[in-house]
Amino acid sequence: MPRDLKLFVVDTGPLITLAAAQSLDYLLYVNVDVVIPDAVLHEATYDAARLGAQDIIEWVKAHRGQIEIAATRTYAIFDAARATIPHLREPDLGERAAVEVIEEPDRLRGDERGLLLCEETAVLRRVVVRDRARIIALSTLDFLRILEAERRIQSADDVFQLAAQAGRWPSRAEKLAAYDNATRAAIQGLVKR
Amino acid sequence: MDAATIFALEAYSRGAMSALELRRRLGGATYGDVLRLLSEAALPLPRAPIAGREEQLERAREWMFPRNAA
Repeated sequence: MPRDLKLFVVDTGPLITLAAAQSLDYLLYVNVDVVIPDAVLHEATYDAARLGAQDIIEWVKAHRGQIEIAATRTYAIFDAARATIPHLREPDLGERAAVEVIEEPDRLRGDERGLLLCEETAVLRRVVVRDRARIIALSTLDFLRILEAERRIQSADDVFQLAAQAGRWPSRAEKLAAYDNATRAAIQGLVKR
Repeated sequence: MDAATIFALEAYSRGAMSALELRRRLGGATYGDVLRLLSEAALPLPRAPIAGREEQLERAREWMFPRNAA
């Protein structure tokens, strides 16, 4: 699915915000390859009881042709360590994996360009962007406002409002028990190796 | 919700604290927890200021929608 623009989702914020607003499909309203580092997907979904987790897994499965789950050494090492420390948690796991993916030398080839979608600016501070002319960082709201300006969606602010409202009530997933092992298997199955 | 949590949420909401720092202060909260707590505190999600980034955002729009960009 090679295109000349890639959308890197480099932290969990955009996924959870859009999932909470039932708006994940907006990421597919642009003709780009969507790239999600494996550890970012893990952080967003490791506990099925968390807001948006079930929706994100189902969305990724439904759109495998347009979404690449990028394998990282960061997540591979973390996953291996969990064999002996089952409840291991690393708060900056997704951030480190995102940095690894963005800095891969072959990630942007030829004339390819990248949009980094994130809520967490710390990710970008850690990245040594080799060619700033080819990479632009956008917040979720930036992305939605561009869709609104292009009349692809009605209102960016409405999406944020929906996300905020979703946080006020338990998501339907919160009625479920955590399915850490199932989610782990799902991520392994989704990673493109 | 205790005062320290509200203080941290308010700082995040107005863009004075990163999400990662907030999550650390909340004891390893997920972003979903952050969203829920913001809702409970009736605080809006942070909005990155556009001022100073107009050219960057316009360039992103051109990349995303090359035929329609102004």
